[in-house]
Amino acid sequence: MKKIAYYDTSHEMPLEIIMSAGFVPYKIMGDVHKPNDPADKYLSNFFCPAAKSWLTEALTESKEWAGIIFAQGCNNTNRHYDIWKLHVETPFLHWFGCPLLDGDAAKKYYRVELQRLISHLENKFDIKITSEKIRQAIGKSNGIKKKLKHLSALRSHKDIPNRDYLAALIKCLTCPVDEVSALLDSEITVWNSRQAFPSDKKRFLLTGSDVTYVEWMDTLDECGIRVVRDDLSIGERFFATLIPDRSDPLDSLCEYYMSIPAPATRPTIQKRLDYLYKALGETDVDGVLSQNLKFCEPYAYDSVPVNNALKSKGYKVIHLERDFSPVDDQQLSTRLMAFVEMMDGGNNG
Amino acid sequence: MDKVKNSDDNAGKVMLKTLPHSKDLKWPMLWWIAMEKIYRILPWKKTAWTCAAFPIEIMWVYDIVPDHPENMATVAAARKQSQRLIEHAEGMGFSRDLCSYCKTNIGAYDTKIKKTLGGISKPDIVVCTNAICDTHWKWFQIMADKMNVPFFMFDIPKWVSGTDEKTLECNIDYVVNQFYDLMAFVEKHTGKKMNEKRLNKVLDRSMELTNLWREIFEHRKSVPSPYSGAETSASFFPLVVLPGVKIGINFLKKILSDIKSITAKGEGTMPKGSEKYRVMWEGIPFWYRMRFMYDLAQQGAVIAFEPYTFSFAPPKKKCLTMEETLRDVAKLIMDTPYAYNLEKRIENFEKWIDEYKIDGVILHENMSCRPSSAGMIDLAEAIRKDKGIPVLILQCDMNDPRAYSEGQIKTRIEGFIELMEANKK
Repeated sequence: MKKIAYYDTSHEMPLEIIMSAGFVPYKIMGDVHKPNDPADKYLSNFFCPAAKSWLTEALTESKEWAGIIFAQGCNNTNRHYDIWKLHVETPFLHWFGCPLLDGDAAKKYYRVELQRLISHLENKFDIKITSEKIRQAIGKSNGIKKKLKHLSALRSHKDIPNRDYLAALIKCLTCPVDEVSALLDSEITVWNSRQAFPSDKKRFLLTGSDVTYVEWMDTLDECGIRVVRDDLSIGERFFATLIPDRSDPLDSLCEYYMSIPAPATRPTIQKRLDYLYKALGETDVDGVLSQNLKFCEPYAYDSVPVNNALKSKGYKVIHLERDFSPVDDQQLSTRLMAFVEMMDGGNNG
Repeated sequence: MDKVKNSDDNAGKVMLKTLPHSKDLKWPMLWWIAMEKIYRILPWKKTAWTCAAFPIEIMWVYDIVPDHPENMATVAAARKQSQRLIEHAEGMGFSRDLCSYCKTNIGAYDTKIKKTLGGISKPDIVVCTNAICDTHWKWFQIMADKMNVPFFMFDIPKWVSGTDEKTLECNIDYVVNQFYDLMAFVEKHTGKKMNEKRLNKVLDRSMELTNLWREIFEHRKSVPSPYSGAETSASFFPLVVLPGVKIGINFLKKILSDIKSITAKGEGTMPKGSEKYRVMWEGIPFWYRMRFMYDLAQQGAVIAFEPYTFSFAPPKKKCLTMEETLRDVAKLIMDTPYAYNLEKRIENFEKWIDEYKIDGVILHENMSCRPSSAGMIDLAEAIRKDKGIPVLILQCDMNDPRAYSEGQIKTRIEGFIELMEANKK
């Protein structure tokens, strides 16, 4: 089954439409181990390094994909689409406008955009995306979300290395859904059999930009940090809520995608905080790690009010500004270790 | 400007002529400042913070004075205050990589500096749009939360390269629907009511103002250039906050009359025979270093056209119904030249290069404005290839003087001038 790759700065892409079109949705996440030279030709040094890595991936891998869909996200998505249109070879390129708001006007617009995406796919690939197919895809999506939720809950009770959680999520966003479903079943069995939460680790909530290479998760483990909750796009936002069952499956998708926990690219900051407070109310944590990719503006703006709000409630918060590369991880780990040590000493960070 | 003119240090330097009525800009400015003060005192009057590409006319229809954080940030830069305000905001935790307008505004509000230095007061409401960038709504929301003021965001769909007419119409529908949300918001939080008669009056004035600006730009096509970017960067002020009121119209009428008089005599803003290179400047100027434009003049270069100030005067049309009006405004918001998609940008830049007889283009790759800087490499490449003129990409910042490297920029400008010279041969 061929993949349709999608560019999505958070979790805006209605994967179920791609699935019901008979393709595997593949989230473009780049590869930090490869140099960004191909993208550097088109984007200067002060653009989001993750977005550059995604462009590099597309410039080298797009021939493997049946097409690419851009879901409107941050400024990067909005302006980089034009650059991709010019330079990335693909038989199918679609702009999916996602409203930033969630009122009636936005709902109407979102629905129109869903229909436009369906029509474009149908016309290009000579297929029919029926309500029944969408309903089936929704069922499969919800199945994955339920399993992920189950796995995620084990993080605060069992010895689940950070890497395992991120690796499972990356699989969910890049591999065929049936394959992923089987993998998650097996992971649930394995994770349930793991030892209890290790006493030498601190429980953390991870928030901010998505950092999508598993070695970073290893670094956190080495620092004594175990991520037990998060509000990341390649994280809880993907499975925090289920797609509701409505008579028209497009209504289900509208309702779901317009009410998932808000990333920094969507108003309001209070909505983000509400999710964080809810997560922190459900799960005891020792600290909060706020990570900000260099030049990732939405999270950089949010980090000040969000971190201040969390600190004012007594949470110990560390904020890291970082590149999208393992090169500086050692330096960051020194800071993290010092933070963890200070926590033991009762310092509020 | 006058300082440059009168300084002894400037003996032998090329002086740019200012128009006789340039100094009259102080009247709309003072009027606006006075209105803002009066509206703040009188309990039945209201004020709002607004941003670029927001339909400011709506505020005037509701008798609300629009304050403008970006505009005040430029004042702070021109008054050499922006760096300390930016550093103040960075001290609060805002990253060095964030918009310098935003940080100037945060610093200005937090330190309560005087309006004449770029200060700004708490408004009754905060309204903004993401038409230009996401920064606008992130910044305005943070400040609305901080000030505990009601916040409204206008969500503008993106007109990306290749958008077809049908999609465009759907995008317009979405914006038009939000106009009604905006009206409901304003009415709820200010107690004011929409008056359609007043709406038409305000829009008529707004159209008159933009038509004057566009006519001025028609005259800027003349050689030598009668009116350079050095002057438009200040005189476009009425288009920022005064579309819909009379005082800006009066000012631009005088400016237009001056320009007509100069072009009729075949004169330009530079002394006779001094204009060697006509330059297009893309992006926001270095507000803390406006002398840059006068430095260009020393080398015979005049900024003959800049899409940035032109963006503030979209071609407005007289509509018969409210719905038609709102659809027109909605389309204009999405179609601002500052936010053109890459295909449209290339097409229009190449048209302007011909119309304004441009010899070279400077693209300000603004570290504070990633949306505007995205695609500049492709834009430069297209212009070089299609029009055969030099393009210089200058990486700097609009409001943060720390990004301005005197020696480096000087060297690059000299190289650019040499390229334009060589290209003329």
